[in-house]
Amino acid sequence: MNNTVIDAHNISKVYNPETIPVYAINNVHLHLEKGEFTALVGPSGSGKTTLLNLIGGLDKPDNGNIFINGIDITRLSANELINFRLHNIGFVFQSFNLIPVLTARENVEFIMLLQRIKKRNRENRITQLFKQIGLEDRINSRPAYLSGGQQQRVAVARALASKPQFVLADEPTANLDSKSASNLLDIMDKLNKEEGMTFIFSTHDPRVIERARRVITLVDGRISSDTAVVETSIPHHINS
Amino acid sequence: MIYLMAWRNIWRNKIRSIIIMLSVVIGLFAGISVLALYNGMMKSRIRTVIEAEVGHLQIHHPEFKKDYEPVFVLKNGDEILKSIRLIPEIKYAAPRSVTQGMLSTATGSSGIQINGIIPELEYRTSQLQKKIIEGTGFSGNKKNEILIGKKLAVKMKLRTGSKLVLTFTDTSGNIVSGAFRVTGIYQSDNAPLDEKNAYVRMSDLNILLGTGNSFHEIALLLNKDKDLEKVQNRLKQKFPETLIESWKEISPETQLLVNTVDQYSYMIMFIIMLALAFGIVNTMLMAIIERTKEVGMMVALGMNRLRVFLLVLMETMFLTLAGTPFGLFLGWIVINYYNKNGLDFSGSGKEMMSSFGFGTMIYPEFPAERVFGVMMIVTGTALIACIFPAVKALRLQPVEALRR
Repeated sequence: MNNTVIDAHNISKVYNPETIPVYAINNVHLHLEKGEFTALVGPSGSGKTTLLNLIGGLDKPDNGNIFINGIDITRLSANELINFRLHNIGFVFQSFNLIPVLTARENVEFIMLLQRIKKRNRENRITQLFKQIGLEDRINSRPAYLSGGQQQRVAVARALASKPQFVLADEPTANLDSKSASNLLDIMDKLNKEEGMTFIFSTHDPRVIERARRVITLVDGRISSDTAVVETSIPHHINS
Repeated sequence: MIYLMAWRNIWRNKIRSIIIMLSVVIGLFAGISVLALYNGMMKSRIRTVIEAEVGHLQIHHPEFKKDYEPVFVLKNGDEILKSIRLIPEIKYAAPRSVTQGMLSTATGSSGIQINGIIPELEYRTSQLQKKIIEGTGFSGNKKNEILIGKKLAVKMKLRTGSKLVLTFTDTSGNIVSGAFRVTGIYQSDNAPLDEKNAYVRMSDLNILLGTGNSFHEIALLLNKDKDLEKVQNRLKQKFPETLIESWKEISPETQLLVNTVDQYSYMIMFIIMLALAFGIVNTMLMAIIERTKEVGMMVALGMNRLRVFLLVLMETMFLTLAGTPFGLFLGWIVINYYNKNGLDFSGSGKEMMSSFGFGTMIYPEFPAERVFGVMMIVTGTALIACIFPAVKALRLQPVEALRR
């Protein structure tokens, strides 16, 4: 059985190609399989966020192809990409980015409404997700009344609501205190281990790197190292 | 959920939204008030035309109105008069002898229409007695008395008791003259009509015209406006040899005025709402620019462009329509007050108002039948106002929006 979730070949992203070209991503190969818990690390400007945007279908590479579950997303139109993201990719952003006018519950339900999931199924999924993130008692609170850690946990629930192929998290702990960060990582770790959810983080945070089971280091838009850091059955691939 | 988000979004910046809503309330109130004022003016004008000038219907010899030849009297006029008095929808009927002639005094002359009337009937049908501002009108038994309009009196320097000479052609084509004494000066809400119309007794005029007991015109006043067409059709069938015209045909300028003012009032409403649209566009544009990151995030999560458009459209609709009931209600209250108490335009001058055929007291009427049209204009405004912000939102690229 093919467990490949992401298969990126030879991808590059160049800014200012006609004046002073800046290679944000330079000829990167990336292969991720189901159930991975991977951290993308590297100094600022190394291309972590750009790589996440490319494999998340938010941006298109100038070269190369990105296959997600066998579909080349670089060939999809803007509207097809929106629909693809809705059904296949979960996002967790650095600054939480919950919809402020919706309650925690409505933020999670929002994704399922976009997917046209029936009410009963939505209710069941919401109950399950809030139990998993341990925020049943704050389900009807608006983001403004939640702490940063609580908001990020709701963002994780929202990312998982659509039952995506994988979750992309762009520096998820950057705005959290250590306790909240640890709590969030526990939740994601548990979801990874118990449900096999694939997580890819971009991060500077040593606490995240410590918990990751694969660490990919980016320098100047290239993968400089790709290491399996704990004992795992998931194979890893070294790119240079 | 998009509706819920849209509704909650407009309350994110309460003061800004309330200001826009207030501007919609005031704009709508102003627009509705203009419609109500015009409505009141037009209805008042129509009432004056019907009740004080021409009546609901008039009956003539088919040839009479071409040249006002006195020979074209109504055949069997008395029979017609008796017959129509039996029709229950008809309130009053007044016969008139009518001719065009010259009014002369020692100092000058003026072309006028001379109306030969039976005062008792005319007073009821055209409220002529109510309009007399000087003198007593027709007395019991004196001959050759005349009622003239104030404007004509001023122009010809006539007063009650003044003598004048009326000259016109009789049924044989001979020029005849008669001396008359002014026993009353009247003033209606229509100054041009006052200048051109004088009233004498029908019996006095008929002697000079040589028409005996005949007359040229029957003016009819109905109990209800809505019976106009029904009665007109019935009379046409009953008296096929006569010309039976409604006030709309006799006074087409009134109908034209009503239609024109109707269109103008919608245009005024449209201009008010167009001005408001700029305010709404500005507010919505600010709202979208402030929420660039949020909109980008929603697109990143999988919200398609149709839904983004729907969100902006709904927000604009709510912002615009939220003030609508208050604007209409405020308009309704104020208009109803003035509908009962009247709006006094005497400051503009009776002369000026009457030169256009209007009284100085206007009773605005809430244009209930136009509320739907007004709502359509408001909705159209919201639709137009949402286009620019919606395009702005649709053009957002999630990557760029999230970077902000």
